[in-house]
Amino acid sequence: MRALVLAAAGDETTVRLTSQTRIVAAILAVAFMLLILELIRRDRLQERYSVIWFVAGLGMLAGAAFPGLLKLVADLLGVRDTNVALFSIVLLLLLGLALNFSVIMSRQAAQITRLAQERALEGVKSKSGEEALETKEERL
Amino acid sequence: MRTLVFIPAWNEEASIAAVVADVREHLPQADILVVDDGSADATTARARECGVLVATLPFNQGLGAALQTGYLYALREGYDCCAHLDADGQHPPAEVARLLAEVEADRADLVIGSRYRDPDAVAASDDYRPTLSRRIGSGVFRFFLTLATRQRFTDTTSGMRAANRRVMSLFSENYSPDFAEIESLQLAVREGLRVEEVPVRMLERAGGSSFLTPLRSAFFIFKGVVVLLVGQFRPRQAEVER
Repeated sequence: MRALVLAAAGDETTVRLTSQTRIVAAILAVAFMLLILELIRRDRLQERYSVIWFVAGLGMLAGAAFPGLLKLVADLLGVRDTNVALFSIVLLLLLGLALNFSVIMSRQAAQITRLAQERALEGVKSKSGEEALETKEERL
Repeated sequence: MRTLVFIPAWNEEASIAAVVADVREHLPQADILVVDDGSADATTARARECGVLVATLPFNQGLGAALQTGYLYALREGYDCCAHLDADGQHPPAEVARLLAEVEADRADLVIGSRYRDPDAVAASDDYRPTLSRRIGSGVFRFFLTLATRQRFTDTTSGMRAANRRVMSLFSENYSPDFAEIESLQLAVREGLRVEEVPVRMLERAGGSSFLTPLRSAFFIFKGVVVLLVGQFRPRQAEVER
């Protein structure tokens, strides 16, 4: 019984983020979103690929501003340690993002292949056309 | 009956002219297309000197993409049937003519030239000797492909094939870049096409060497099995043009 109470008390201390970490996290989140905006502005990142990153930045900001949110999510997941919950969520998010990029990459690889094939076939036509013209000129 | 014979070639400047000449001799009525898969050497130039059609891919993309280019050309230019063979001189064009005859007679949609179909010939032949890792790989692929298609295949990786327009329209849209030979057989059978093997004689390669080391072979085999497994769960195409 006493051990349980102690564990519960220990729980309380691990849950709470210090205000210092919260400020650092908030600054990082804002800086991250500014970076995304800057990349879009300079045409280094297309809008359609930036939405997901922007949402991630907002999530970071929300987590820093309302630590209760994190606790809520941890409880929903049935995880006692908020930090573990945080790391798990971030890990899953990154996994999802990596998969998303693999899908995009596969699609683009297929598109590039088809593009190369079309170009190669164009080359056959134009060359055989030239040769046909040449032989015609020779005959004339 | 218009026929296209296409030859995928990657860095085959040494052997391409001889192969083209050989095809011309045995298949005089066929148009010839060399698909240069982004060679670093003079494959395209050598092929053009022979006066055949040449499609040059701007960069190397693997055998699957090169073969698909050939099928795409045959489909768009309205050829009735097509065949392909390797550019390294392993495939005698006289045998390709026999494959084409099967397709022209409409006995099959896709015909594969098999080294192993006729066991007596394999035993007696000095022409073609597969290495140990190749034999293991062939065995594994043969087993799984036969399991997947419920049809007996003896030479799953053969690059000597003949096909009609049904196959052209299927392969020009769906052709795996990584596991072209094996997956295409599975695909064709799944789409209800008639696939047939014809025993052929193949020769020792004229130039170049096999890229397969034991470790690579093992990985290749593993990848092939995964590809076949996934292929079993792929949705069928709505309708192959009939």
